[in-house]
Amino acid sequence: MRFVLAMLVRDFGADTRALRFAMIRLVIQPAVYLFVFGHVVGGMFSAGGSSYAETMAPGIVAIAIMSGPVTVIASSILPGYYYRTLEGWLLAPVSLRLLLVSKVLGGVFYGTVSGSVVVGLVWLLLGFAPVSLSLLLAIGVTAALFFSLLMLVILCLPRTPDKGQEAFSFVLMPLTFFGCTFYSHSMLDAPYSQLSLMLPTTYVSEGLRAAYNPSLPHLPLVQVMAGIGVSTLLLLPMAEWAFRRRLRDFLW
Amino acid sequence: MNGPVIDVEDVAFRYPTGTMPVSGLSFMVGRGEVFGLLGANGAGKTTTIKLLTTLLRPTRGRIRIAGLDTGREATVIKGRLGVVPQDNNLDPALDVRGNLVFHGLFHGLGKRETVRRAEQWLEPLGLKEKAREPVMRLSGGTKRKVMLAKAFMTEPELLILDEPTSGLDQETRSFIWQQITRHCRSHGTVLLSTHYPEEAEHLCDRVGVLRGGRLGETDQPAGMGTPVAGKIVALAPGLLRTSTPSGAA
Repeated sequence: MRFVLAMLVRDFGADTRALRFAMIRLVIQPAVYLFVFGHVVGGMFSAGGSSYAETMAPGIVAIAIMSGPVTVIASSILPGYYYRTLEGWLLAPVSLRLLLVSKVLGGVFYGTVSGSVVVGLVWLLLGFAPVSLSLLLAIGVTAALFFSLLMLVILCLPRTPDKGQEAFSFVLMPLTFFGCTFYSHSMLDAPYSQLSLMLPTTYVSEGLRAAYNPSLPHLPLVQVMAGIGVSTLLLLPMAEWAFRRRLRDFLW
Repeated sequence: MNGPVIDVEDVAFRYPTGTMPVSGLSFMVGRGEVFGLLGANGAGKTTTIKLLTTLLRPTRGRIRIAGLDTGREATVIKGRLGVVPQDNNLDPALDVRGNLVFHGLFHGLGKRETVRRAEQWLEPLGLKEKAREPVMRLSGGTKRKVMLAKAFMTEPELLILDEPTSGLDQETRSFIWQQITRHCRSHGTVLLSTHYPEEAEHLCDRVGVLRGGRLGETDQPAGMGTPVAGKIVALAPGLLRTSTPSGAA
């Protein structure tokens, strides 16, 4: 446990050292999204009876929850490969599983923090507050767990993580833009509505819409929970397998 | 425990590419001993060190550190090791002090003790003024000093040093030699891979020469004729000479 805490403090310390970049990622980027799509575009038209800004804001929170784990896992594994930092961590007297847990928890923590910051920004800039905080937290934490595991799979599955870096755009771009973040699932026609159900971000965005305002059109909560839960459960053994396979014999 | 601290028994390792830098490797190192691992580039020194530090698992054979099997008890073993690998593995996101402090914390030291030990190593290595500098801005030699401080600060039972003093000035090298000697006086054990013949002669109780993945011979350093860094090194009592092999440029 001491190792996990130390690793969380290390990740946090590393991020605050790069405060300028952390501010851009955590505050400025989502604030720009919220201003442009919430105020400017959102004022132009409505979405199914509610304002576009209200439909889109939970999607921006979903993107923020995704960006936390993506950043923290990538900034651990990639320098770990380029500067051999991972070798130092592997020489610590802890099991490979504990190292994995510490990295995943770091991702979950950062996903939750990123999401919380944007929840605050949504309230400040657009005046929307979530109706159900517990639902928001449950979806946010599970989503952060999912994205942490996904990042580990992306970076540990290829022979070297720099190859995984190339997969970022193939995986993260569709997750960001086709996962019902900037629009609700109800706004899509077939076959796009069916296709979007293959993306976990759809369930995260729709679940957050339910948490913000249950009267907004959204997927049924059971479907949302099943979608996020099943994706996370499927990814869990895969992430552990990829992590072990790459690091049990340290060949990087 | 009275048995050997390092016990390597018929070990082989094959990389996924098929290369087999270590094959049929067997040797033992006793408590309090400084064992020098010599050999030309590509002889398998670094692979041997990775096997000893549990970063690689042997394809064949068995390695025991302080009586513990590296395959089954890697976590306990790592708690007893201080390692300076051939390539520095400093955390670029942290400064010099941060690298030492987090190393201590990752190795289970309490926060106060970690900070105390970090300070204790910063001063003599001349790192005090650079304590807040990001490690990526340091020179190669200074990075090496931080690596050494990391290895020593956990006061390990076994130090495994892969060319630890490469790039260091003579003064720092002498300081490191003193620390290695002091470590052994307090019953610590050292496995040292080096390209410096004088380092092997000065520090090692025994040296072994890796050739073709095997340890050809082990002896006191003064009794060996060893190819080091592409040169034939004659280790005579009290005198260490290097000469270029005939035909070599």
